[in-house]
Amino acid sequence: MIAKLRPLATIGCLILSSFHACYSYAQQVEPIRVGVLAFTHPDNVAKRWQPTIDRIAVDLNKPFELIALTPSELDSKVAQGKLDFLITNALTGVSYKKDYGTTSLLTLVPQGNNQPTQAVGSALVTRSEQQVNSFSDLKSLRAVSTDKQAFGGFQIFAGEMAHNDLNPFNDFKALSFVGFPQQKLLSLVANGKADIAILPTCVLENAVKKGDIAANSLKVVLTKAAPTFHCKTSSELYPYYSFSKLGKTDHRLATDVIRSLLTIEPTEPAAVIGRYDSWSATVNDSHVFKLLKQLQQWPFVTNWTTIFRSALPWAVVIAIFLLLGYIHHLRVKRLVVLRTRDLQSEIQQHTQTQRALLEQTKQFYKAQRVLLTGEMASGIAHELNQPLAGIRYLTQGCIYRLSDEQTELKEAMNKAIQQVDRAQSTIKRFRHFCQQPSVMSECYLNQVLEDTLSLMAAEFMRMQLTPEFKCETVELTADPSLLQQVFVNIIRNALDAMSQCPAPNLSISLSKQAQHAVIVFKDNGTGLSETALERLFFPFETSKENGLGLGMIICKRIIEEHSGEIVAANNHVDGSRVPGLTITITLPIKES
Amino acid sequence: MSNLYLVDDDQAVLDSLTWMLNGLGYEPQGHLSADSFLKQAELQNEGIAILDVQMPGMDGSALLSHLTKSQSPIAVIMLSGHGNIAMAVQAIQKGALDFLEKPVDGDKLAVLLEQAKLQTKLNMQQKVERDALADKLKALTPREHEVMEKVLEGKLNKVIAAELNIAQRTLELHRQKVMQKMQVSNVAELAFLMGKST
Repeated sequence: MIAKLRPLATIGCLILSSFHACYSYAQQVEPIRVGVLAFTHPDNVAKRWQPTIDRIAVDLNKPFELIALTPSELDSKVAQGKLDFLITNALTGVSYKKDYGTTSLLTLVPQGNNQPTQAVGSALVTRSEQQVNSFSDLKSLRAVSTDKQAFGGFQIFAGEMAHNDLNPFNDFKALSFVGFPQQKLLSLVANGKADIAILPTCVLENAVKKGDIAANSLKVVLTKAAPTFHCKTSSELYPYYSFSKLGKTDHRLATDVIRSLLTIEPTEPAAVIGRYDSWSATVNDSHVFKLLKQLQQWPFVTNWTTIFRSALPWAVVIAIFLLLGYIHHLRVKRLVVLRTRDLQSEIQQHTQTQRALLEQTKQFYKAQRVLLTGEMASGIAHELNQPLAGIRYLTQGCIYRLSDEQTELKEAMNKAIQQVDRAQSTIKRFRHFCQQPSVMSECYLNQVLEDTLSLMAAEFMRMQLTPEFKCETVELTADPSLLQQVFVNIIRNALDAMSQCPAPNLSISLSKQAQHAVIVFKDNGTGLSETALERLFFPFETSKENGLGLGMIICKRIIEEHSGEIVAANNHVDGSRVPGLTITITLPIKES
Repeated sequence: MSNLYLVDDDQAVLDSLTWMLNGLGYEPQGHLSADSFLKQAELQNEGIAILDVQMPGMDGSALLSHLTKSQSPIAVIMLSGHGNIAMAVQAIQKGALDFLEKPVDGDKLAVLLEQAKLQTKLNMQQKVERDALADKLKALTPREHEVMEKVLEGKLNKVIAAELNIAQRTLELHRQKVMQKMQVSNVAELAFLMGKST
C-alpha cells in the first residue's frame, strides 16, 4: 500500500514543500527499502510479499517499503545501492553475492516442503501422449518458456541441458519465450501450439489442484527421483527464494529483520499469501554456484551490463580512435579529391597543348606538301623548259638558214615552234596553278622560332640534343607558316648532318641589326663539299637517299619572297675548315 | 661589230641559242658560268651579253650587278626560265636593257640586239667621255678645282677672290688655267661638260 501511495505522497510533498518543506514526510525516518525480483507484473509480486514486509514493519516499528522490480531494474538499483534488502531467487541471489557483495541471510521454506535446499526445479511438461524418454528426443520438439531469466522456468533446465552438452537455443526444434502467467504455457502445450513447456516445478500440480487443467492431459517428462519433494521434477532441485542484505545495510537492522522473519508461522497471513511455510537460516548454495558457473559460460546469461560498464572506457577510446581515423580518412579523401582535380586540369591542359601541337604539326605538313608540290612543279617546269628552249632555238635557227623559196619547210618549222610554245604555255599554267600565294601578316620572328623549336622538340629529344637558342624580340611583316617551313627544313638538314656526330651541337641565334633581322643556324655536322655548296639552292639536288632535293630551294624561294637573303657556308675557325655548316638568313624589317 | 656573249649553265641551250644567233648572222661567244665569262670577256669594251638568271655560283643578276658596278659598257639582256615581275623590275633597275622569258623568239631578240648595239656604243661613248673628263679633272690642282666649283656656282670673280681670300688677279689666272685644262672656251661650255657627267 505504501508503495502505491508513494508517488502520491511524493507529489503531495512537492506541492506542500513550498509551505512545510514536506514536514510530515521529513519527520518520518527514511523507509527501509526491500527489493523483490519480479518476472510477472510487479503488482502481483508486490501483493505476494507485502504482508511479509508489513509483518516486519510492525515488529520493528519502522517504515518498510516493498519495491517490485524487473531483473534489469533490480540490477541497476542494486548497483546504485538504493536498496537495503532483497528477495530474489537463489540464482540471482548468488550472482549478486558475486557481483555486488550482497549477503544471503535467509532461505525460504516453500509450502508443503520441509527441505529448503530442494525447493524448486524445472519440469518439462508435455501432452500425455507425447513420448520423451531422453534428451535426444527434445530435438524434434517446439519448446516454450516464460523468460530467459526465469529461474525455475528456464535457467535450471538450461543448466541441466548444459550438463548434458546441449544448448537449449540450438537443441530444440524451436524455442520461444512467451512471458507470464505460467498457466498460459500449459494451455499452449495442451492445445498443441507447442510440444513442450519448460516450467518451474509444481506449476502443473498446482494447476491440476485448482482444476485449470485436466488431470491426465499433461505430464512431466524426463523426471528425476526426488523422494523428499512433493512435485515431479525434470532437473536437480535448488533452494528457492533467499532474503539478502546489501553490503551497506546495518547488521543490527539485519539482525532485527531476521529475528522478525524467523518468527513467521505457516498459518500467518504473511506466509499464506507469500506461499511459504517459513524462513530458515541460509542453506548450502554451492550447487547454485555451480549452476551459475555453468550458465555463465553461455552468452545468453552473460551479465551484459557489467561487461558493458567495464568495456565502456575501451569502447569510448576505440570510438575516439575510429572517429579520428574517420576524420583522417575524410581529410585524405578531400586531399585526394583536390589532387585529382589538379591532376585532371593538368592532364586537360597537357592534352590541349598536345592537341595544339599536333594541329600545328599537321598544318606544317600540309603547308610543306603544298610547297613541295609547287616546288616540284616549278622544278619539272624548269627541267622541261630547258630542252624546249633548245628545240625552239634550233628550229628558229634553221628557219633563218632557209632560203626564201623553201616556204614549205619554213611553214612546218614555224608550226614546230608553235607546238613548243603550246607546250610551254601548258607548263607555265601548271606552275601557276601550283604556286601558293603567301599570306603576309605582322608577326614576332622570335615567336615563330620558338614555335618551330617546340614543334621539333621530339626530334631533338631523339638526338639527345638541346639546341642553344639566343633571341631578341623582332617584329616584322612575314608569312609565319612559310618561315616555319624554312626553319624546320634548315634544322632538319642540320640534324641529318649531325646524325653520326658523337656530340651534336646546334646553335640558333636571332639578332636585330639596323634594318635587318639576322638568323643564324650553326651545326657541327658533316658540312658540304664546295660543289654541293654551290648547288645547294638548286632543285632536285640532294645528298639524302630518299630526298627530293627541294627543301633548300623552297627555303630560298620563301626567303626571297620576303625580300631577304639566305647564305650557306662551311664553318671556319681562324681560316681553317672545321666540321659543320652555318646558314644565315637576313630578313629586312620594314618600318611601318 | 661588237662582241656578243652568251652565259648559260646548260650546254645544250647554249649551243642551240648559238645556232639560232648564227642563223641571224651573229657570232656569239658561249660561257657556261659567270666566272668563265668574267675571265674571258673584254669587260671594258663594247659588247652585248645575254645572261641566264638561274645559274649555279654567281647567278645572272649578281653578274649584272658586277658589270654595272665595274662601269662596263656592255649592254645586258636578261633571260629567265620562270621570271616574275619583281625580278624584271630589279634587272631593269640594275641597268639591264630588257628582261625576257626563255625561250626568247629569234625575231624579238634580233630587234633587241640592234637596240643593244646602239646602247653599248652609247655606253662606250659615255665611258670615253667620262674617262676624258676624269682625266681633265685629274689635271686640276686642288686650288683650281675649288675655283671651278665656285665659278660653276655662278659667282663673280671678286666674290670668289674674297671668299678664297686671294687677289682678284690671282683668281683670274687660276680661272684661265681651269678653262685651258678643261678645254672649254667659256663658263657655259664648262657647265655643260660637268653637267653631262653627273
